[in-house]
Amino acid sequence: MATTTATVTINSDISSYPITIGKQMTLTKSANRSAGLEETTGLRSKKFTATTAAVIVEADELTDDTAHKVYIRNASASRANFFYVAYNASAAAAATAETIGKLYGGDWMLFPYNGSTNITVASSTTDTQFLEYMVLADGIEAAKG
Amino acid sequence: MATTATISISSPDLLPGGSLSINASATLTKAGVTADLDQKESGVIKLATGTEFRLGPLATEMSGDVHDIGSYIYICNNTTEDATRYIDWGINETMIGRLYAGDWMFIPWNASDDAAEIEIEAQGGTNIIEYCFFNSDFILPTAAS
Repeated sequence: MATTTATVTINSDISSYPITIGKQMTLTKSANRSAGLEETTGLRSKKFTATTAAVIVEADELTDDTAHKVYIRNASASRANFFYVAYNASAAAAATAETIGKLYGGDWMLFPYNGSTNITVASSTTDTQFLEYMVLADGIEAAKG
Repeated sequence: MATTATISISSPDLLPGGSLSINASATLTKAGVTADLDQKESGVIKLATGTEFRLGPLATEMSGDVHDIGSYIYICNNTTEDATRYIDWGINETMIGRLYAGDWMFIPWNASDDAAEIEIEAQGGTNIIEYCFFNSDFILPTAAS
């Protein structure tokens, strides 16, 4: 049984009193909250030079309704460019119903994922952007793909 | 006024033959520019089961007719009574994942229109969550009289 932890630290001086959020979680399975996640898609890095939407996480490779976590980072530096990130079979755009958000250069996100629909991205620009992503999986369907 | 979000994902034994260590930090800014975010909204909520709730403002409560904003949300499930409890979270009436007791998530939020609201529903019993939105465009509701 593997042990994987994810820690977030958020610091902000928006308020007159400083905000510090610090939280660590151990990634565990839905069926046994004491058992650590044992599978991953691995960390991938992908270069994008077009705005065409692309699937980065295929839902049919993952067990439905478990405790997957998805990590995505825009590894480019420009704050002018971004990726749309959507929970959708094939689309990712501002008007796509399940677009989660815009991941600007340097931004990252980590969210729990039920593995029922693809995770799709689309670059906002034809300028080169790099995306890093990884699923920390609670069940990979090895026969599919 | 700067707001930074840092993540660390580590595991000594998830990857055969090697350890996993991811570290990334982002400075959260307004959309498409390097100006810092300057507004936030946070809270702690006890959620009963059986009802799907909206978390946070509607898009029109953040930026009028223009939704091209930088917006981020941190949510943590602070439930301690039972590790099997979770909240379903989603966008636009589509559930995306399960945030189990003790887990956290951090995402950019598209908020393209009011239908793109963030929805949460407690499962397995009462759940306690804390949350913090960071953006630049909250609009207070107009007073009733």
